[in-house]
Amino acid sequence: MRTAILSLLFAVVLGISGPAAMAAEPPPKGLWLTTDFPSATVRPGEITTIRLKLQNAGLPPEVAALSVSGVPEGWKVDLLGGGQPVTSAMPGSNESVTLSLRVEAPAKSQSGRYPIVVQAKTASASTELPMTLSVGTDLPAKLSLKVKLPELRGNPKSSFDYQFTVSNESGKDLIVRFGVDTQKGFTSTFTEAYGSNELSSIPIEAGQSKDLKVSIKPPRDIAAGSYPARLRVEAEGASDQTQVVMLIQGQPTLRLTGKDGRLSGEAEAGKPSPLTLIVSNEGTAAAEEVEVSGTVPQNWKVDFTPKTIDRLGPGERKEVVATITPFNKALAGDYQSTMRVSAKGDSVSSDFRITLTTSTLWGIVGVGIIAVALLVLVGAVARFGRR
Amino acid sequence: MRREGSPFTGLGAVFLKEYADHLGSARMRVLEWLVVLSGIGVVAVAIITLRETVTRDQFLFLNLFLYQREDSAVPSLLSLLSILIPLVAIGLGFDAVNSEFNRRTMSRILAQPIYRDALLLGKFLAGLCTLGTGLTALWLLVVGTGLLTMGVPPSGEEVARSLAFLLVAIAFAGVWLAIAMLFSVIFRSAATSALCALGLWLFLTLVWPILVPVLVPMVATPDPLAARFGLLSDSQVEWYLGLSRVSPASLFADASLAVLQPDPNMTRIPTLGMLGQLQGMVRGAALPLNQSLLLAWPQITALIAAVIVVFAITYVIFQRQEVRA
Repeated sequence: MRTAILSLLFAVVLGISGPAAMAAEPPPKGLWLTTDFPSATVRPGEITTIRLKLQNAGLPPEVAALSVSGVPEGWKVDLLGGGQPVTSAMPGSNESVTLSLRVEAPAKSQSGRYPIVVQAKTASASTELPMTLSVGTDLPAKLSLKVKLPELRGNPKSSFDYQFTVSNESGKDLIVRFGVDTQKGFTSTFTEAYGSNELSSIPIEAGQSKDLKVSIKPPRDIAAGSYPARLRVEAEGASDQTQVVMLIQGQPTLRLTGKDGRLSGEAEAGKPSPLTLIVSNEGTAAAEEVEVSGTVPQNWKVDFTPKTIDRLGPGERKEVVATITPFNKALAGDYQSTMRVSAKGDSVSSDFRITLTTSTLWGIVGVGIIAVALLVLVGAVARFGRR
Repeated sequence: MRREGSPFTGLGAVFLKEYADHLGSARMRVLEWLVVLSGIGVVAVAIITLRETVTRDQFLFLNLFLYQREDSAVPSLLSLLSILIPLVAIGLGFDAVNSEFNRRTMSRILAQPIYRDALLLGKFLAGLCTLGTGLTALWLLVVGTGLLTMGVPPSGEEVARSLAFLLVAIAFAGVWLAIAMLFSVIFRSAATSALCALGLWLFLTLVWPILVPVLVPMVATPDPLAARFGLLSDSQVEWYLGLSRVSPASLFADASLAVLQPDPNMTRIPTLGMLGQLQGMVRGAALPLNQSLLLAWPQITALIAAVIVVFAITYVIFQRQEVRA
């Protein structure tokens, strides 16, 4: 009252009183007990804490005795101030004191609504706060799962990384386990969204959410197609699941070997000799425009029939005959040559060892020379033989 | 004056008698001991060193014939044989025919139903068989010693290769036996014959290898590009090989190396023209036996043909000689 008059006086004296100040009603005076949520939920057998505020508006500081009435039988209700049980409080003028109401409902308490009244009483004023404590309307545990990009595209060699968010939409902390249901042969690992530790479960506090990542690797030999996978999260009493889809594109995987798996061949110097190669596609998509080429030592020639294969489906194999013509002056020994197949998307090469043999023509010439020498001898015997 | 019947009548008798004489003679005893002792000595040195080195070799056994320590004066069995074989062959053949004249037994033999053809061929074959016996004995000794001391049995290919080497060695012995018999037919004096044969041998063994490098630049044009790389030009290498192969010892060494050394790169002389041929070749790869034999075949052919040609010359000269009682 006095301050209001003083401020009015000041305003008049200074002549700068605003219209708002003039229009403002004087604030209420008195003592109040307030709380944000006068009807709270308590779980049987658990402790619930409710915040209260004792507010003194415009009164001189006085000791206010605190009490709680209407407490159901067997319940334990205490008023705490600064962590200690208190029975009185003393808010300063125009100040407030924060109190906590600690409610411990017995484990077997019936569900229902229990009204209690919290009272504060000073010599000059008193206030009451009627509250309702309800039992049995606890929120059920609830999880929600959200995948950011549920459809990914890749080839059999790539890994599919799905980022997802798990939210704990319940009043309790939960330990959440994850899993993926995929077809046989897929492998999956869970990590944090930006971490590398592999997880099998993660604790999530009430009301919080976590960003996680699952990486799914398809088997190498998988055919092209769309593969759904079911992503699951589970906790005590709650679960959620969602579907992610992997769109796998096929890829050709070429292989080049010799016939019967042999990577060696034989050739005679200067003569074309065939080497049968097997080109096979062990991938999941057809290889288009397969081209066969080869690197042979200098002065050697290599030719392929056919030179190109238009299309080689997955699992198919074709024979290609490489005709190798060694240098006609090449020396006998083992030579290295590289055969290569390339198609759109893949290429592979194999080293072949060509054993070069030299012509046996000179061997026959040698026999001829010996035969000539023998003929000379026989001629000498015929000419000079005598009695 | 055509003769009747086979020219080989009596060949068996001459051959057996000469063979028996050779094997029983004191000269042969000395030569045999010379060969066996020096051969065993060389092989013992090779084995002792081979047992110390632990390098794995696919053809460990063949090293017995080839092994030579770089810092040692002990030659390899191969180079020892290329000296000893001519010596033994000359020792057996230098007085084959002229001793019959000197003992005046030639007319007596020819009075028997034996042609000169059979006499000459029988003497040659007996000498060759004697040499073959000695060399086979040495070969068996080497292989046996290797088996006993190294504890590694030779593979089939190693045995085949060393047998081929034995045949090459016998052919080489045949050349020098034929040459020695040629001199024994030409000269009536055994000393002259021996001296001539030994002289020719010394010339081909000692002087010819020195002469060839001198002769090559005279006949073959050098290649400046090859010279820059320190290599011989292709024509120089051809001349070098061609001239040195006049000597039977060079033919023998080339053929033996080709047979005993399965890796052909170890024995080749690199030339500039060969660079293109060798490109892309896998190093250290062993040649199969038939390819090694093909490599050695020209030299083997030359050795065998030389035996036949020298024998034919001997035959012609012998047939034209007069035999008097």
